[in-house]
Amino acid sequence: MSEADALGRLVRQVVSQVRWRRVEHYGMRGAFYGALAAVIPLVVKGPLAAWAIPLGVALVIAGALAGALFGAMKSVAPVDAARLADRSFGLADRVTTALEYAGRPDRGPLGEALIADAIERVSRLESRQIVRRVVPREARFLPFPLALAVVLALAPPVPIPSSRAFNLSRSAEQEEATERGDTAMLDEKSRATPKDDLKRPSFEERDFAQASRSGASATAGDLSAIFKDTSLASQRPDFNSFLKKGDDRLKLLEQADRLPDLQSDFTTSQYKMVFKKSKELRSGLRPDQISPQKLKELLEEMERLGRKGGSWGADAAEGMEALEYGQQDKALEAMERALGKMRAMEERDRSGKGLRGGRENERGSRSREGSRGGGMGPEDQDFGEGEGLLPGRGRSPSPKGEASQRLRAAPYDVGVEGESRRGRKDSYDTNMTGRGGKMDSRLQYLGVIGQYRKIMEDAITREQVPRDYHSQIKDYFQALDER
Amino acid sequence: MKSQESRVQEFVAAFEGLRAEVEKIIVGHREIINHVLIGMFAGGHVLLEGVPGLGKTLLVKTLAEGLELSFSRIQFTPDLMPADIIGTNMIVEDAEGRKHFQFQHGPIFAHILLADEINRATPKTQSALLEGMQESFVTVGGMSRPLPAPFFVLATQNPIEMEGTYPLPEAQLDRFLFKLRVRYPAIEELNRIIDRTTHSAQAAVARVMSSAQVLTFRELIREVPIASAVRDVVSTIVMATHPQWEHAPDVSKRFVRYGASPRGAQALVLGGKVRALAEGRYNVSVEDLRALAGPALRHRIILNFEGEAEGVDVDTLIGQIVDSAESLTTQGKELFVR
Repeated sequence: MSEADALGRLVRQVVSQVRWRRVEHYGMRGAFYGALAAVIPLVVKGPLAAWAIPLGVALVIAGALAGALFGAMKSVAPVDAARLADRSFGLADRVTTALEYAGRPDRGPLGEALIADAIERVSRLESRQIVRRVVPREARFLPFPLALAVVLALAPPVPIPSSRAFNLSRSAEQEEATERGDTAMLDEKSRATPKDDLKRPSFEERDFAQASRSGASATAGDLSAIFKDTSLASQRPDFNSFLKKGDDRLKLLEQADRLPDLQSDFTTSQYKMVFKKSKELRSGLRPDQISPQKLKELLEEMERLGRKGGSWGADAAEGMEALEYGQQDKALEAMERALGKMRAMEERDRSGKGLRGGRENERGSRSREGSRGGGMGPEDQDFGEGEGLLPGRGRSPSPKGEASQRLRAAPYDVGVEGESRRGRKDSYDTNMTGRGGKMDSRLQYLGVIGQYRKIMEDAITREQVPRDYHSQIKDYFQALDER
Repeated sequence: MKSQESRVQEFVAAFEGLRAEVEKIIVGHREIINHVLIGMFAGGHVLLEGVPGLGKTLLVKTLAEGLELSFSRIQFTPDLMPADIIGTNMIVEDAEGRKHFQFQHGPIFAHILLADEINRATPKTQSALLEGMQESFVTVGGMSRPLPAPFFVLATQNPIEMEGTYPLPEAQLDRFLFKLRVRYPAIEELNRIIDRTTHSAQAAVARVMSSAQVLTFRELIREVPIASAVRDVVSTIVMATHPQWEHAPDVSKRFVRYGASPRGAQALVLGGKVRALAEGRYNVSVEDLRALAGPALRHRIILNFEGEAEGVDVDTLIGQIVDSAESLTTQGKELFVR
């Protein structure tokens, strides 16, 4: 046991040193938090009067004492202390091993030799402080709350707003109004105006009420629509500033060229408005990155518009249902379908006004030619919605054709949207060789090019074609046109 | 009966003496010589890796000369067959004219076996060494034959000339206690090599240790105490090489595919015991583990694709793993903030 005691003495010394360092460490931390707490009574020293300073000092001391007590009460494992001694005195784990083997009956001859060696080395050691002081982070900032506390102690009491300041009762307001006199009364009247039930139309109402089919002046008298896109939109009319320098709104009305053209406003078209919103929603984002809340709001709007006479209400409702089940992809598909129907209705309306699209004019002229006796091949036929013509396949319900298996589909073949991926890019030689290259095509060149151009434009708009390929693709099609 | 101190002193003297004999021939490579001796006394086998001409084969030959042990050398080539290593049964005729099978011992039946350029032989031939290295006996024709004790394999391989070679499989690599990398000598050492090898007078190596002594020292080494706290560091180091371990450091998770086997932990502890005793110490310290972590673990850690692609140095990786393992145990932390 005396052997263990000799080693144990060293361990106890180390434990004691560790305890003192902990007392210092946690004491400084406690003093910091105590100093922070001491600032509070010094801030409110008015009501506390003479008690504020002693209370502050007591808090600092109490914090330091609590920290020191906490540090002193933390236990130190003898093995940890032994290892610390080994490291600090360069004993190469002799004390740790000897301490462990001293209590083992099966220590063996080398164990005995180890214990004897360790005791001899420990007895030759000079006692010194081996636990270094670690200043806590809080101690570096301790001067700041202390200095603040001293300043607050020396400074006059900080004025505290009285409870009267928060009294917003009508009687108090009336008392103030009486004291202020006539000018203030004018101000009071001008401020009372917003209390009237002047209900401004909400965003949705402004956008879509104007877009009603009848074209009635739903916003008649609502000049705020004029300032919709200016910084004045959010400001209330200020009678005082009008008296001084004239209303900014009136100045703006004098500059007719700066006013937004309400006739060409997007809000006149339901489809365009919704399409614009859906584009903003999807701009550059993957389906999983789109906010479900915003998507839901948009689908609700579409569904509401659909109830007024559109055929896309069911699609929008389906999208909302899909969104509730967390199927965002399906919701987006439903939204696309609804948008397609809205666009179809929009185009029908426009054709009624004689604003037919270029393709429709072209088809119309062709049909007229056909009626004059010209033959109408399969390429000249008009197609229904979702239908198209693929080279060599005749009428097809799928304008983009069948999806092909992607070559060497691999995770690292997927790039960031809008950028071409790194690494080597495979290219394919499109020049036909062999017998097929010598055979004449039975399809009309321009018809095929037109189909592919449409597919290309759709692909660029909707799919993830890297931006730096856009111009290259367009140049390619331009070159095909020139052939 | 000798006291423990005198036994330890005897070992220290023998270790120093053997090293001095090897250093008569080999210039520099002090650490390599130390690790080879540690591997031998720990009862393991050592793989030496280095470019040609650095003295790997000479080191092993010199070591064999310094020990009173039988020595054989096998130059591994692609056409080498297992029977060329282990031996084979041959038909022999006795004095009476009767024919019978007689086992012809292969070169593996030696105390010290130098397997030169081990990666030039086919895996079939390489695997002929497996049983001998692990179990210290070989089986031929259904009969197990013990190898002489102590049995110590020193293999060499060239890391740059990889064409026509068969890299050692992980199972065989794991059977080597240490893998040592023989570096190119410094200019002073090169000058000494030139002086020593271009003169007519060659130093003679004296035999300083017998096989019995080696076996006695091996037994002594196993008695060296190791504290449970130090043993915990060993376990933590080995576990930290496994990326699947929950406390594995980031470097392991990022660059390692497979970590070290339990043989790695055994190699660390046994090597640590020899190193401690060679320094006249009676216990294993964390410093011993740090010194031997590279040789004991570098061939047991397999890098993943990212590690290979980024050219991660396994020794650097092991250093980081040892640091993190020390901080995972209580060794690396400040006591009073715990």
